[in-house]
This record gives sequence, C-alpha cells and structure tokens, in this order.
Amino acid sequence: MVDRPLDKAELVERARRGDLDAWETIVRTHQGLAFRTAYLLAGNAADAEEAAQDGFVKAYRALGRFRRGAELRPWLLSIVANEARNRRRSAVRRDRLALRAAVEVRPGDAVPSPEAALLAGEQRERLLAAVEALPDEHRDAIACRYLLGLSEAETAGALGVRAGTVKSRLSRALARLREDLGEEWA
Amino acid sequence: MSELELRLEELGRELVFPPAPDLVPAVLERAQRGPFAWRRLGMAVALAAVALVAALAVPQARTAILRFFHLGGAAVVRVETLPESTERARTEGLGFRVPLAEAERRAGFQLVLPPGERPARASVLGDSLVTVALRAYGKTLLLSEFPSFGPGSLRKLATTEASVQPTHVGHADALWIEGPHAFEYFGRNGFVQAPVRVRGNVLLWLHGPLTLRLEGPLTKAQALELARRTR
Repeated sequence: MVDRPLDKAELVERARRGDLDAWETIVRTHQGLAFRTAYLLAGNAADAEEAAQDGFVKAYRALGRFRRGAELRPWLLSIVANEARNRRRSAVRRDRLALRAAVEVRPGDAVPSPEAALLAGEQRERLLAAVEALPDEHRDAIACRYLLGLSEAETAGALGVRAGTVKSRLSRALARLREDLGEEWA
Repeated sequence: MSELELRLEELGRELVFPPAPDLVPAVLERAQRGPFAWRRLGMAVALAAVALVAALAVPQARTAILRFFHLGGAAVVRVETLPESTERARTEGLGFRVPLAEAERRAGFQLVLPPGERPARASVLGDSLVTVALRAYGKTLLLSEFPSFGPGSLRKLATTEASVQPTHVGHADALWIEGPHAFEYFGRNGFVQAPVRVRGNVLLWLHGPLTLRLEGPLTKAQALELARRTR
C-alpha cells in the first residue's frame, strides 16, 4: 500500500471520528488565512489570535454538524470570523493597517522611476486610508472580498450575511470609494 | 473586474499582517480535553462546599485531614477523599487571557521564565495568579506564578493515591506531586477558584517572593531541570 496525502474529505471524516492528527493537518492548512481574516475583522492581533484559536476548537467540536461533501474552508472561516466579530464589539481600538515599505519588483518588470514609485506609494496609502474610513459593514466586505481574496460565498459566510447582501454592500462600498478618491479611480 | 477592484486586490497583497501565531498546540490541547463543563463545575462547587462544611463541622470527619505541607503561598493537604471537583481542559479556567505585559501589570510582579521563553499572552486568575503555556520536552505545560503573600492562597488536596515528595530547586524548597489531586485558589480580594481536578504531575517551588507551579506530563527530573532554568 502506498502512502499518499489524505484528501480534504478524508481528513474531515477522520477528524470527525476523533483523529487529532487529521485535525492538526486541517488547522495547519487554514490557520494563516484564519488569523488574517480574524485580524482584519477584530482589528488587533491579540483578539485575532484568540478568535482563531477559539474558532478552531469550536469547529472541532461541531464537526458532527458539518455537512458531508460541503467545502470546509468557508465553514471554518465563518466560525473564526464570527468569533472575531464578537470580539470587535467590545474592542477599544483597531490597529491601523500597514503596507509594505515598497512594492517588490518582479523579474522582467520595468523598474519605475523614483517619481512614479512615489506616486504609486501615495495612491496606495490614499486607497488604504479610504478603505479604513468606510463604515464597518462596508469595510469588512471590501476586506474579505478583495484584501483577503475570499470568494463571494466565503465573504458571505465570514460576515454572517447572504450572498445578495455581500453584493449590495460591495457595490455601495466601491461607489463610496470612487466618490472619496475622485475621478482617477472612476 | 474594474480598475478599482484590481487595485484593492493588489493592496491586499501589499498589506503587512502581524506574524501568524502557531495555533496548533493550544487547539489540540483544548480539543483533546473536551468542552469546559460550566454546569458540572457549578454542581462541583456546590458539592465541594457541602463536603468542606461537613468536613469541618463533624468531629470524626476532621481526622480525614491527614497532613499539611506548606510552601510559600501554597498548602498541600492530605485528605482521605478528594472533594467533588471538575476536571478542566488544561488551558481553560485559568482566568482572563491578556498580553503578558498586561498580566504582569495586573498581578504587580514580573514573571520568571525559562530562557528564551516570553509567551505573548498570559492568563490572570483573581488578581494575582498568572499562568502561561510553555512547550518543553515536546509537551504543553502550564507555569503559574503568584506572590507568597500568606499561607493557604493556593490549596492542593491530595489523597494517598498521589505522592507528595519534598524536594529542592537549587536551594529553594519545593514539592513534587505525582498523581491525581485537586486544587483551589484564593485571591487577595476574596476571590475563590472552585476545586479543580488535576491529573498531570505538579512541581511547586519558591523563587524569591513568588510561589511557582509547573503542571504537565513531565517526569520529576524533567520538571526539576526546567524549574532550575526558570529565573
């Protein structure tokens, strides 16, 4: 018999039967994205860590209710995100998001002039500031869908709303950003 | 996808996130232990209170307390039977989790830790018992610290099933408890932690004005070695 990596469904099935090695693999696979999601929703690293940890423990205990054949990632993210949102309600402040100091230049890319690099940097800072100034429900939709790259269904799960609500929040949030940022973004 | 949406995706790739913590040890530890049974704990508190009142009120029952060991802020009491108590998940029931510096501020002292260990978070129970989770010898361990401000602030109840051995960490007195026992914690301002059943081994020792407690599945030699490095 040849050893092979277990697929997602097998891992879930084993974890459901109490196999902690299988659950460890699942946690390792998803903990990075779960933490980043929790960070953007809770607003600080300490609450994000707690939310992600509590989310994985609750998910393990709720595996019996996980629908066979369903996608695991959206389900996990929805539990972690719910923990993160609950913590934000009592949080005093949100960390300011930060950007890398400079955009990495990939091999083959044209090297931008110092002026162009400065302009690009300023644009990114303006865009980030505009996102941070959005009302929470719009900011969260933008954060999940674009900053984290979640699908619309995952965004809906993370925010605890229907897909249609995500669409309308995104539409309003994008319109608000265009209004705030001016014509260059239209 | 519009230009703005593309820029937002690009922005996401340029965001700096705090380093993601490794959640695996804590998640597995808690998953293994099962949920914390608040309802059972409530019942256990009630039963323990009844047992304690009965033990102190009935003369024959007083003989059930066989022997005391005192160590700093801790007392180990030999009893014939343990009070009804609940078994908690090792990382639960330890109080509020806060950043380590905040825990030290609340407790009013700086933790002593093994070299290279500075966990980001700690739990504070009552107003002065601070607990951090550590990894050593491939095991998850709990290190609790509190000021030795008076006898009886931490009380351990052990039957003859558990062995209690006086020992030393360097020149400091210590107690090694192996086998099932229960502990209760009494804070400075009247805070009382209900009896909690412990299955792992425990080393209690003194370090200056602090009493330290190391809990986990270690051998005595491993616990003593780690305690010696904790300063």
